[in-house]
Amino acid sequence: MGFRSESLASLTKPGQFFMIHLARTTRDPLLRRPFSIHGIQDGNRLMILYNVVGKGTSLLSTLREGDPISVLGPLGNGFTLPRPHERALLVAGGMGIAPLFFLTQALREVQRHRIKMILGFPTSQEVVLTDQLRDLDVDLSLTTEDGSLGIKGLATDHLDQHLAQELTESPVVYACGPIPMLRKVAKKAGAFHLRCYVSLESHMACGLGICQGCAVKPTKSTDKPYYYVCQDGPVFPAEMIDWEAL
Amino acid sequence: MAASPDLSVDLGGLKLKNPVITASGTFGYGTELTSFYDPSLLGAMIVKGLSLRPMPGNPPPRIVETSCGLLNAIGLANIGIEAFIQEKLPSLAAVRTPIITNIYGHTIEEYAEMAKRIENVDTIAAVEINISCPNVEQGGMAFGADPDSAAMVTDRVVNNTTKPVIVKLTPNVTDICTIASAVESAGAQAISVTNTLLGMAVDVATRRPKLANTIGGLSGPAIKPIALYLVHKAVTTVRIPVIGLGGIMDYQDALEFLLVGARAIQVGTANFVNPKAPIEIINGLTDFCEREHISNINQIIGALETNNVSSK
Repeated sequence: MGFRSESLASLTKPGQFFMIHLARTTRDPLLRRPFSIHGIQDGNRLMILYNVVGKGTSLLSTLREGDPISVLGPLGNGFTLPRPHERALLVAGGMGIAPLFFLTQALREVQRHRIKMILGFPTSQEVVLTDQLRDLDVDLSLTTEDGSLGIKGLATDHLDQHLAQELTESPVVYACGPIPMLRKVAKKAGAFHLRCYVSLESHMACGLGICQGCAVKPTKSTDKPYYYVCQDGPVFPAEMIDWEAL
Repeated sequence: MAASPDLSVDLGGLKLKNPVITASGTFGYGTELTSFYDPSLLGAMIVKGLSLRPMPGNPPPRIVETSCGLLNAIGLANIGIEAFIQEKLPSLAAVRTPIITNIYGHTIEEYAEMAKRIENVDTIAAVEINISCPNVEQGGMAFGADPDSAAMVTDRVVNNTTKPVIVKLTPNVTDICTIASAVESAGAQAISVTNTLLGMAVDVATRRPKLANTIGGLSGPAIKPIALYLVHKAVTTVRIPVIGLGGIMDYQDALEFLLVGARAIQVGTANFVNPKAPIEIINGLTDFCEREHISNINQIIGALETNNVSSK
């Protein structure tokens, strides 16, 4: 799905998100839902990727071309791009592909280095955007949990091997996906002394830093009791997060 | 053209240009939403609940959405009253609307100390006492659920500040009228009715409560009928002004509370969905009064007609 706005398209950076609501009169679902932008099409269409998982997304799926939606954004910090000489290694699980696809788009505008992406989905049914990623000349390693496409297993199953292969390039690791996946990526990247950024998902009521609902525990090195995903994130250097508390 | 309707209300010594107030915990420290509108347009703003010392808040998950409602267990995460006064308040100096601080203590002594601290701060117009937040294990709940301790807290705050004192009541009691009367007698200038209702949500797959804190406070449209009922009870019990809140999303919701007898209303959860909600409510009330040829909002307050249907 996408929404058109030239000004928002030019403002939005990979990793940033929007709080989206069908219409203001809705009481159920009550709150806006955070969606990261998965890319910009034709210079003015901000694309969001979603799975129908609940009331909000099922209503979203009933929208037709031209229906109005209410969006609030862009919010959050977005990814820190690698330096021009640095390579990127992306790890995506399921819908976590969304912000990483946008990151890939943005990277391709500034560098031609090889981009390696490790992608995991539950089954071949859920696989999205892989053709577009190949068009962007991304070196894909695709896994599905049931083995219906690509390698059978989880995106993180062969992480050691991938990281070891890429190590000489010391790539910057970017990850988005389920918490167990991120935890593993953070740990491995740490072990290989690679810079690693994770994009976190959280329940949030406002996205504006007011409700303080989207708290995540930082590592002990900071004086903050909690980070807030909407304001301090959603992208965090992996070493800033207390992965055991998550 | 007729003059625009007079929306001003009087909350026991605190005069507001209109009856729309932002509720504590849903408006940050007053500085966060300034890109959406000029807060001077508000009747008043109540900033996030403050404690004597900073509070980290509860572990996540802290919020979960339920049908037409929001269940939260934030745990009163806040920077502490001193940091608020030093770091946040100066940036609100230009705001031309009363700034009300909401305070919360673990002991009666902490409430008294905060009242003293606020007394010398000119930019703070009034204080709202939270005796009702259900999220923190000690304190809060116990004060608000017992008329004697509710009165004791009110008395100590009233005796330590000359500023108007508003007491925010909890709905999680057997009879809100006893508590309302107790804090009125103790010198409260107004009461806010109501805080969140205790609630719970369970993840069936994991068989665990969805909130890390197990229980939370329910807000949003789901609680509006209950809040209205409690305001209705409160206004028939006390003489001090009652500020109504609970699930107000638009001006029609606000009108319901005003008709029942609330002298002003607070907008809470709606701020999360639509940051401009308070302004839209003010505009909605203005338009409504114009349409209905009501020159003064006080003509609506308490103008509820009674149903004279006797049960046989």
